[in-house]
Amino acid sequence: MRTFAPEDRLTRTNELLSTELDHETVLMSINAGAYYGLAGVARCIWEKLENPTSFAELVDCLVREYCVSRDLCASDLQKFLAEIEQEGLLRVE
Amino acid sequence: MGPVSNSPTGTPEAGKYLSTKAKVSLNAYQAYGLSIHTDLICPELLPFPHSSHEPDVTITMLGEEATLLSSLPERSYEVRPGCFQLDVRRVARYRVEEGRRILIQAHASASPEKVRLFLLGSAMSALLYQRGLLPLHGSAVETRWGGMIFVGPQGSGKSTLAAEFHSHGYRLLSDDVCAVESTPNGLRILPALAQFRLCADAYQKLGASPEAYFDVDKFAVSMGKQYCPHPVPLKAVHILSYQSAEGPRFEVLRGLERVRRLFENLYRPQFLIGQRTQNDLVCLAGLIAQRTTLAAVSRRRDRTAAADLVKFLEVAWAECFGTSFNAGEEFDAHFRS
Repeated sequence: MRTFAPEDRLTRTNELLSTELDHETVLMSINAGAYYGLAGVARCIWEKLENPTSFAELVDCLVREYCVSRDLCASDLQKFLAEIEQEGLLRVE
Repeated sequence: MGPVSNSPTGTPEAGKYLSTKAKVSLNAYQAYGLSIHTDLICPELLPFPHSSHEPDVTITMLGEEATLLSSLPERSYEVRPGCFQLDVRRVARYRVEEGRRILIQAHASASPEKVRLFLLGSAMSALLYQRGLLPLHGSAVETRWGGMIFVGPQGSGKSTLAAEFHSHGYRLLSDDVCAVESTPNGLRILPALAQFRLCADAYQKLGASPEAYFDVDKFAVSMGKQYCPHPVPLKAVHILSYQSAEGPRFEVLRGLERVRRLFENLYRPQFLIGQRTQNDLVCLAGLIAQRTTLAAVSRRRDRTAAADLVKFLEVAWAECFGTSFNAGEEFDAHFRS
């Protein structure tokens, strides 16, 4: 499985349009006809990805905002980022 | 003729033409809440009394000598911020600028009807996108609950249903394309063309009228007095489809589905990407999904006639939005002045 290094710089890809719906952020790739709904923590991560952020910074932010252990947070974040990278939503530098 | 400015972004030929032809008598119309001045005669549009005010939109026919468009080698259209170009082979070239101007260079052999078909369809939809209005591919009806939009794939019966509402005495805001705008007072449907575009069977139902003419594969019929010329608050968007189950169904949509369905039913969605307004328009779609009701309306093709569907919807709306008549009257009072 894909793993991200602490220093990887992560940001959103540009091709997506987004809007707010209920308590979700809706992302859409009109050309691909794909739609994504992000709620809760996922939405919070997406907001942080507006500007390039390192994996380690993301973990720091999340353990500060949510009641979660650093290890669990890092492993969940690995999974989530791998998923959105596969969908072409994430740029890694 | 004055000197032609050589601005790097403008089109000198088009500018030259506009300045020399400004004295040609202009026809004044309105559509989508916009005042339109044009040297074309457009029976599809509602005439609008001339005023000394600047019109919202000007539509100008250019002569054959003008070089309207930069070449479009691979695609038949091009979307750039503030400038849309479309080349319809053997019909016309269209250039739509800043939501304010449409320039047309018609092919010598093209009929005026065909030139207007792409003007009022594709070129107008690009203009609406430029102005931050969301064009949906569907018809719109004024009801006591507010404005109801009906969208759906080709052949899903949008126009036939609109014609049926018309024969039940409802006023229509549009057939084929309707536009939604966001105002400080909420979302509104803007009235579009004052005519139906129907396939032959629906046309016969309305009864032939002398001003009807054959327009590609559809007939055009004026809505007459039952055209609603003012904007109406948007209450619900209905997605029409046929299904195999027995009776008609009215199902309120939830979640992400709503935005997806709205985008599936945009008019000429390929003209949205690349507009300066694209992000605002996506947010407008989110607002529509959030503030109004989106419902999937399905029925069996051979079981539910259009007249029965009108009755079914009246009952569904009463259940969904209440039976009070006051709401509609309030809207009327606000928007008729």
